[in-house]
Amino acid sequence: MPHEIALGGTLVPALLILFIAMLAVFWGLDWVAGRYHLYRFVWHPSLFRIAVFLVLFSSIALLLL
Amino acid sequence: MSAQSLPTAVARREALWRFLREEGDAWLFIARTALSYFIALWLAMRLQLPSPNTAAMTTIIVMHRQSGMVLAKSFYRVFGTLAGAMAALAIVALFPQQRVLFLGAMALWVGLCAGGATLYRNFKSYAFVLAGYTAAIIALPVIDAPSGVFESAMYRITELMLGLLVSAVVNDVVFPVRVRDTLRHTARQQYRHFIDFMRGSTGGAIARGDMEQAHLRFVRDAVALEDLRSSVIFEDPQARARSAHMELANQRFMSVSTSFQSLHHLLNRLQRNGGGEVAGAIIALYRPLGDALGDPAPSRALLRRLRTARHEMPARAKGLGEAVDPARSDDFETGASLVQRFAGELEQYVMSQLDLRGERVSGDVVERARFVRGNDYAGAALATARTVATMALLALFWIGSAWPMGANAMLLATIFSGLFATAPGPVRTTIKVAFGYLGGMIAGFICVFFVLTRIDGFPLLVAALLPFFMVTVYLFTRPTLSLLGLGGSMGLAYILAITNPMAFNPLHFINDGIAQILGLGAVVLMFGLVPPAIGSAWLRRRQLAALRSQVALAAEAPLPGLRYRFESVNRDLFHQIVSQTVAGSEESRSLLAWALAVHETGRALIELRHDQRDQPLPPRLDASVAEAVAALGRLFQQPSQHAYDAALAAVDAALACARSAPGDAVALPFVREHLHLIRLALLDDQSVMANYQPIDAAAQEPVHAP
Repeated sequence: MPHEIALGGTLVPALLILFIAMLAVFWGLDWVAGRYHLYRFVWHPSLFRIAVFLVLFSSIALLLL
Repeated sequence: MSAQSLPTAVARREALWRFLREEGDAWLFIARTALSYFIALWLAMRLQLPSPNTAAMTTIIVMHRQSGMVLAKSFYRVFGTLAGAMAALAIVALFPQQRVLFLGAMALWVGLCAGGATLYRNFKSYAFVLAGYTAAIIALPVIDAPSGVFESAMYRITELMLGLLVSAVVNDVVFPVRVRDTLRHTARQQYRHFIDFMRGSTGGAIARGDMEQAHLRFVRDAVALEDLRSSVIFEDPQARARSAHMELANQRFMSVSTSFQSLHHLLNRLQRNGGGEVAGAIIALYRPLGDALGDPAPSRALLRRLRTARHEMPARAKGLGEAVDPARSDDFETGASLVQRFAGELEQYVMSQLDLRGERVSGDVVERARFVRGNDYAGAALATARTVATMALLALFWIGSAWPMGANAMLLATIFSGLFATAPGPVRTTIKVAFGYLGGMIAGFICVFFVLTRIDGFPLLVAALLPFFMVTVYLFTRPTLSLLGLGGSMGLAYILAITNPMAFNPLHFINDGIAQILGLGAVVLMFGLVPPAIGSAWLRRRQLAALRSQVALAAEAPLPGLRYRFESVNRDLFHQIVSQTVAGSEESRSLLAWALAVHETGRALIELRHDQRDQPLPPRLDASVAEAVAALGRLFQQPSQHAYDAALAAVDAALACARSAPGDAVALPFVREHLHLIRLALLDDQSVMANYQPIDAAAQEPVHAP
């Protein structure tokens, strides 16, 4: 995967696009978890949410290596 | 604790404990704010952004004691920032070489943003403030080099977003204070207040004064709950999933409190015009409901008792109705159907309260019930005009004096004219903040030229800045000093202008400081010159007119969703006016009187129109009911003795028509009862309608048809 992507003539870091895409994925998962009360099973929901996002983002960012 | 009675050891320990807990909260807040400030600063330096101070300043602007509030602010800030960046690019692209047009367009944009901010309460108004601010911080510094605007926009957006991200994460993870807890507390209190008030009133009628006070509290509860709900959804995914339930519960609360009030006004009137016996019968009908509400918390058992009481009600009403004097059977039937409406709504309210506590009694499908706000566009136009004038004044001064610091003065004016456009008494507020700001700048001067010159490296920078921030942020946590603290924190964070490497230039520092104070001064001046609409008699009259025209809305608007719209706009308007009047003043009393009349008549009109729509009525009756509805709408829109007479005559005509109509329509008794209720409200000599009643009619006994 290229490190920079040309969007309308400007070079945009691929990391930024992945970040936004993963944010969307995360919001989807978060919505589902909230809807079905899955956060009941988690000790510290906000820490858990951040961790989930970091896992998503880091794992997809490895593609750039 | 008074000085005379010596506190016991237990009381002392409790007071100490409470004090420590409050202080602990304050210091945790300081820790969160400082942590996000320094992390944002460090990251911005590490990423080699040109102005790390913007990122750090952002964390100060969004600081709030409850974490959901920070998330909500940040969410709207993102939108505001992006919109402002777009506007900045457009303005620079349009007028790169025309300073008058450039500054004119800028002033207009900032003014529109300030006007938009007054239209929204809560943090949506924040998006507008930031749209103005972002456009200014992007476009003004590049006024001499327009080709650099794109880069400027990219960097400012990056820095702002970095600051937002850091403060959102820190506030969500480090000892978060949840809005959810406040919300839960408020919701329980709302329920308890209401139930207590209702149980306390089963014995008989309530005095009008008490009713007004109770109404005030119910409205405040309803609006506070909606405010909290709209921020809690950013903090808690579970709360977001329940958001629709919360909205519905709040709407049902508003409906049931309106019905409750109508019922008590009816009882009051009956007792005054010699219908004490009927009132007694209605109270007897309503007593089982009070008995059913045994305990202060909602439970399934309570819901069952309510249901039983409601199912037994028609039979009971029949029994009681037979004992009532036949000449007054209209009064009794009106009251009985009001009690039944109230019982049904009470049951629904308890049901949604149970839902909220996770009992799931009504299933997952939730009716959409939006809380609609009542906005005033004239106030927004005034705020726009004022802000445009402020910016134009500063721009003219800048152009005329060729002052190198003009941009800084305009920048600061942008922030504050947006931020305080919605504050009641903005002159006082802004002056307080300006003093804080001045203090913050003096502290910043000491910090930059006496402390920062002696240190090297980030850890020492933290050590040097921390004491200054602790003081200003601590002031912010004190209720009486929070404006000073806000100004102080912002002044300090802004004037420090931390860069990497740090630049020490006392001349520039002092010039910058003078420019910022001048910008603030221009804001204060314009707030004084163009007095804010908020709190003025003019706006209050307009809002009162808007409140009254709610009845016209109830009389004309399409029915689907009207009930919710009516109830929520009413509350919102009412709450706005109440928060801007002095309690107990003449204005506040007349407002309360109108609000109660609007509530009662509007709700009865909506119910009447529902029945009219659902069931075919005889055409003659249909026409005369429509005529009465329209006449009432006119009366509330432009109250006068003439309109009053016309409305009363129309209602009487419709009532006569309903009595003589052939009795095959199912809705007929309901229509008659609604009309009767409206008529009694019109004739009430203690309500605001008394001002329009002819002298003799007020004294006359209401005539009863055989």
